Amino acid sequence: MNKALRNPLIYLIFVIPAFVLFLAFFIYPVFTAVNNSFTSWNGISKNITYIGFDNFVTAFNDAAFWKSVKNNVYFILFSCLIQVPLIVIFSLLIANVKKFKGLYKTAVFMPSIMSTAVIGILWGFIYNPDFGLANKILGVFGVSPVYWLSDKDWAMISILITNAWQWTGFYIVMVLAAILAIPKELEEAAAIDGATGFQRATKITIPLIMPIISVVIMLSIAGAMKAADIVLVMTKGGPAGSTDVMATYMIRYAITSFRHGFGNSIAVLIFVFTIIITVLYQVLISKRTERIEY
Amino acid sequence: MRALKKTIPHIFLMAYLLVILYPFLFVLFSSVKTNNQDIASNPFGLPGSITFDNYINAWVNAKISTYFFNSLYIGVLSACLSILFAAMLAFAVTRMRYTKISAVVFQLILLGMLIPNNSLLLPIYGIMRKLDILDTHMALILPYVANAIPFSVVILAAFMRSLPGEIEEAAVIDGLSSAGLFARIIIPLTVPAIVTVFIINFLGNWNEFLLANYFLSSEELRTLPVGMVGFRDAYNTNYAQMSAGIIFSVLPVMIIYAILQEKIIEGVTAGSVKG
Repeated sequence: MNKALRNPLIYLIFVIPAFVLFLAFFIYPVFTAVNNSFTSWNGISKNITYIGFDNFVTAFNDAAFWKSVKNNVYFILFSCLIQVPLIVIFSLLIANVKKFKGLYKTAVFMPSIMSTAVIGILWGFIYNPDFGLANKILGVFGVSPVYWLSDKDWAMISILITNAWQWTGFYIVMVLAAILAIPKELEEAAAIDGATGFQRATKITIPLIMPIISVVIMLSIAGAMKAADIVLVMTKGGPAGSTDVMATYMIRYAITSFRHGFGNSIAVLIFVFTIIITVLYQVLISKRTERIEY
Repeated sequence: MRALKKTIPHIFLMAYLLVILYPFLFVLFSSVKTNNQDIASNPFGLPGSITFDNYINAWVNAKISTYFFNSLYIGVLSACLSILFAAMLAFAVTRMRYTKISAVVFQLILLGMLIPNNSLLLPIYGIMRKLDILDTHMALILPYVANAIPFSVVILAAFMRSLPGEIEEAAVIDGLSSAGLFARIIIPLTVPAIVTVFIINFLGNWNEFLLANYFLSSEELRTLPVGMVGFRDAYNTNYAQMSAGIIFSVLPVMIIYAILQEKIIEGVTAGSVKG
């Protein structure tokens, strides 16, 4: 028994392909990113000069960098303050209807399996000032055309709406699964005690699904820090850098203007900020929501 | 009163459904209109006369067939390779008797799930240049295979752990080696988890944009998302044709979704919770 399952050669053959790929594409890049972030390397030349923390100082002194950080923060705030309440409300609604439950679930989930690039193109069309759906609908109410993606004041919110349109349904399905997993007896007992639908939702269902809401928030934060393709496809960071997020800021410098070392220092900052936000969230908020057993 | 109470949730939900589905209808309607003026004058409904010229032009101009097959082959090949490698590692870690090394390997792989992978774009770009495979499909296949490994290992290992140990005892007594045990017993039993992991990996690869955009420059190598953005940039004054292009690129996903929706929803949500 043990002989067959203790064959060192077989063990190595089975572990090595995946493990080598993992080291090459996760661990090694983290170290090179950190290493290169202290250089002024242009990404091509052979001689690499170490310049200490200069790249980080440059980034911290660049107003455009802080603008991109701010846009990442908008992403996070938009998901937590606007999307999360909508997610909870709509999952409660879907959980409590009898008809069309499957239809709602299937339809709201659909945008999340589509390519973000194609969604970006589709919404770029919707936002077109002359032919797009958004202005045509507003036009019905007599609102004058809005230049969604080329107006500095509207571009970021337009992207956030598109992002929410794509991902809200995904989280609704996750929360819905958690609601449907709650034993029916709890709701029934509350109903017999005379609790209204609203009381049952706020006093029973929502407290019980707090763990999954916490997961949704964590995933939204992770998603917000990673966001790049939607911005690249819809506005390329413009107009005038007003929709840049950290990832697109990094790409602009590293790939388009050959400041590889500087780009890597932004990558390290994305990394550090993500860890800080995650840890802060875990310590300040997530720990307080106790695990509930039923 | 009761009837009203039952209808109100449906009103809100139908409104939400409209917000999700109407953009697709808008694009579908626009794709059978002759030109931008046609869209501007009648934005909401079907046009008086339906034309399919846009579909023919989009197919030719956007080279959608090329992009489509590039995406399909890169997506399927990468997903299969990561499942093979991940399944091998998961088997070795969960079923073979090397508990200490296995625990270390598994913990390291778990760590990989915490790394925000698009901040690794630049170092990976550097690796690809060193290997001299930029602007070939290998430059996408390698990172796609690698990126999917942590998640695939976690799901497959969880599934393999739940298989009863008696199965392999019986198989070993009947004379199977560990490689035979893997190929003949464990893999067939793991098929449900493999299907889930395949769907997630494939969708991820099919939709991936950043690497595909920066690692390839030849037009005929492009994947569907990058090709569509290029098409939009080249023909962005002809919205009717662009709509036909959008329809071409969302239709395959919609068809797959219509057939496999339960499996996809289950797989994608399971993956993200564990991630």
